[in-house]
Amino acid sequence: MARFQALTNTVLDAELEMLRKRLGLDRSQKAELLREVASLAAWIVQQADQGREVQARAGRTVEPLVHPALERLRARKAHPVGKALELSDREVERLAAALDRPFNPPAGLRAALASLAKAGRHPPKLRWKKAAAA
Amino acid sequence: MPVRIEALETGHRPLLTGFQNQHPSLVEYLKRYALRHATKDLLARTFVAIDDTPTRPRVAGYFSLATVSVDRASAEKHPNLTRPPRFPIPGVLLARLAVESRVQGQGLGRYLFEEALGLTLQLAKDGPVAFRLLVTDAIDAAAARFYERHGLVRLSDEYPCRMVLDLRPVLEP
Repeated sequence: MARFQALTNTVLDAELEMLRKRLGLDRSQKAELLREVASLAAWIVQQADQGREVQARAGRTVEPLVHPALERLRARKAHPVGKALELSDREVERLAAALDRPFNPPAGLRAALASLAKAGRHPPKLRWKKAAAA
Repeated sequence: MPVRIEALETGHRPLLTGFQNQHPSLVEYLKRYALRHATKDLLARTFVAIDDTPTRPRVAGYFSLATVSVDRASAEKHPNLTRPPRFPIPGVLLARLAVESRVQGQGLGRYLFEEALGLTLQLAKDGPVAFRLLVTDAIDAAAARFYERHGLVRLSDEYPCRMVLDLRPVLEP
C-alpha cells in the first residue's frame, strides 16, 4: 500500500508539475495551481451533473471526456441508491391482488402489504422526547 | 419535513453520533460498522430514516439488509420450505432494525419494516436473482413479538432467535 501510494504520489506530482508549467505558474504558486485545477474540475463535474457530455473538438475529430468519477456520477443519477421506496402501478396492483388471494397472513403482515399497496403512503410524524428511554 | 429514508453514505456520518437505542449493539453497529459494511466490505446495506427536526436533521432509525442462506435441515418444521429437496433456501436478511429511543412508540418501526419488506419484494419480483425468504434474528422477546405480528415465524428450536417469512404466497402471480 505504501509503495502504491508512493508511486501514485510521484505520478500526481509529475501531473501537477506539467499543469503548473502549462498554466504558466511559478513553483511558489501552489495555491494558485490548486485553485485553477479545482475550478476546472468543478466546471466539468457541474456539466456532467446537469447531464451534459464534455467533449474535445478539433475539426471533425471529437473526443469525449471519459473518467470513472463521471461514470459514477452518471450512474448515481440514473439509479439513485436509497431513493425512497416507490412501487410501480403494476407492483401496487400485484400487492393488492395478493391480499385478495386465499392466503391468510397475520393482521400485521396484511396491514404492511396494504400500506405498501397504498398510493399515498407516508412515514409517521415524529415527536422527540427529551430524555432517552432506559 | 417528513421522515425520509436514505441509503447510508459518507455524508450521513455526522448524524450518526447522536443515535440512541436501548441495545448497545444496535448503536455500535450504526456508529462503527454500518458505513464500512455498506461502502467497503460490502456485507450489508443500511438505510437510515432522517427526521429534519427544527434544529437539525437526526437519524430516527435504521435497517440493514444483507443476503442469507438457510440450511434446509434447520427448516424441518416448515413443510412448505422443505418440499424443494436438497438445496439451501436463499433469502434476504433483515440484519438489523432499530428505532431511536426518543421516538419509539410512534410507528416508525412498523414503517421501517414496511420499507424493508417493500424493497425485498421488489428485488424478489423484478431483480435478477431468485430467493424465497425474508429472514431476521430477533434481538429480544419484544422484537420477536413484533416480527410475529408481521407474519414471521420461528425457524427452529435450534435457532430460537431466527425468524423467517415465506415470500412465496405474496410473490405468486
